[in-house]
Amino acid sequence: MNLKITVICGSALLIFVFALFAGPVPINPFSAGELEREILMSIRLPRVVVSLLMGLGLGASGAVLQGILRNPLADPYILGISSGAALSAALGIIVGMSFWGVLTVPVLAFIGALVTGVFVGAMGWKRGGFWPERLLLAGVGLGFLFSAMLMLLMSISSDEGMRRAALWIFGDLALADWSIIPYGAAFITAGFALALSRGKALNALILGDELAYSLGFAPRKERFILFIAVGLMTAASVSLGGMIGFIGLLIPHIGRFIIGADSRVLVPMSAVGGGALLCIADLVGKSVLSPVELPAGIITAVIGAPYFLYLLRRKDVLSI
Amino acid sequence: MERDTVTKGQLDRARRDVQLFFLLCAFVSLCLCDGFSEASAEPPQRIVSLAPSITEIIYATGIEERLVGVTTFCDYPDAAQDKPKIGGMSNPSLEAVLSLKPDIVLMTTDGNPKEFQAKLHSLGMKSYVVEALTLPELPEGIRKMGRVLGEVQKFELLAADIEMRITRLRNNRGMSRKRVLFIIWPEPLIVAGADTAVDDAIEILGSTNIASEAQGRYPKYSLEEIYRQSPDVIFFGKGKGMSEVSQGLLSRIAAVPAVKEGQVYYVSDKLFRLGPRAIEGVEELAGYLNR
Repeated sequence: MNLKITVICGSALLIFVFALFAGPVPINPFSAGELEREILMSIRLPRVVVSLLMGLGLGASGAVLQGILRNPLADPYILGISSGAALSAALGIIVGMSFWGVLTVPVLAFIGALVTGVFVGAMGWKRGGFWPERLLLAGVGLGFLFSAMLMLLMSISSDEGMRRAALWIFGDLALADWSIIPYGAAFITAGFALALSRGKALNALILGDELAYSLGFAPRKERFILFIAVGLMTAASVSLGGMIGFIGLLIPHIGRFIIGADSRVLVPMSAVGGGALLCIADLVGKSVLSPVELPAGIITAVIGAPYFLYLLRRKDVLSI
Repeated sequence: MERDTVTKGQLDRARRDVQLFFLLCAFVSLCLCDGFSEASAEPPQRIVSLAPSITEIIYATGIEERLVGVTTFCDYPDAAQDKPKIGGMSNPSLEAVLSLKPDIVLMTTDGNPKEFQAKLHSLGMKSYVVEALTLPELPEGIRKMGRVLGEVQKFELLAADIEMRITRLRNNRGMSRKRVLFIIWPEPLIVAGADTAVDDAIEILGSTNIASEAQGRYPKYSLEEIYRQSPDVIFFGKGKGMSEVSQGLLSRIAAVPAVKEGQVYYVSDKLFRLGPRAIEGVEELAGYLNR
């Protein structure tokens, strides 16, 4: 087990370093000129940090959500949080709002995500606690409503505005900028720390509410805390760079195949794996058609899905 | 068994239906042919434009009273906004077009769906696709359009004027060949690539568009590539709040020569449309590039 964890963390670290120096034009760290240093510091480093943060938030959120909703199909997007973020960001992009400068779209996305999270939470709350099915259904329902509104917005906007919004929605890490990283990092680390601190409780929740009670946890309270952690991480990661699919849904499953279902290990490993996958995906996305950049969200699925299917074929169980 | 047996009466009725159907078809196609020959005999009076550039050409030639329908994006000149709307460029409404009873529908290959033309034809509508994809092709495109609309002289005047101005710009090129980047939108970073009026304009002015190698007409460009290509001049197409929106990008490419030496300019959106005003857009760029 410890060996596996070391290998995962080690390869993730290697990937981050590799993503920093590889690219459409590789940079040799030992003989970098002024131009290369500038590219490294003001473009590549923030971009790698943002992909790390986003992947971390999404991977961990997925692992936590599948646990608290006790549903292998749950992912950070199923709660409608990202649709709320996308709608509000797209509105800002299409209308061309710029009142907070560079931070306008991320802030709009974050507000959209938080408002949606609170709303879904309120819908899923009944008789003093969250009900997993209610949360899921409220999220799915709201997600549909928001997607429809997004489509409406895009169908009445100019072609140019539509393309900009679409690019953002598919995940655009090129927006990575030092000015936004501290905020994203603060929310994602807070959510991540909160989730990690409730690792044992999450393990208990997966067994069912009755067993969780008998193990000494209050399921409603724990579910509420973990929901807040997921909301923070998802909202922050969506606002950092749009909607990146696949990671939140399938990285936790891949993690379970490799290191088992103990949440105390699975949550951090999903985070590390998500970060590494997004780094690689972004590297590929900006390199294949250079100087044109492809959205990282497409590449994560193209790289990740075949590997997931391969694992699915080889192992027999798929559970949470 | 019973289902398979067909009585003679049923057979006769079927045969009669088929005959009727063919008769009807023949009648309809005769009517359509009539419509066509009539339309080609005299210039079309009721024109629907499916593109802002076409609308602008029609206003520039002064035959706007024949324009009965425009898209929701046709915002220039102001008077065009008062014309009946038929929907967007990529999603025009067939019903709205039909209800205007146009003699001809003018389309462009740049933004209108091809299927729409097929639909118009199947309904017996006449359409014409304006074939001008580059700025140097524009005068010829305008001439052809004039022939279709039966206004050869007015369109010739406009075409000749644009041609003359292009030639003048080519002759008055600046001394140095500058490396130029034209940014359509800073976040996400979308620039003008090959096969755009912007690219043509930069070529006419004797400079180089650093993004013309990239795939696509309006590619999503890489920030690193701006550093590596280090353009001498950067243009921003004007949009709502462009100078604020661009600050983030500019701070990130502060070390690029164009930004360091203050060669960053905000220009109008005239080059975004391959219409009569595009040439003014080229003249605007010339004002900065020939300094």
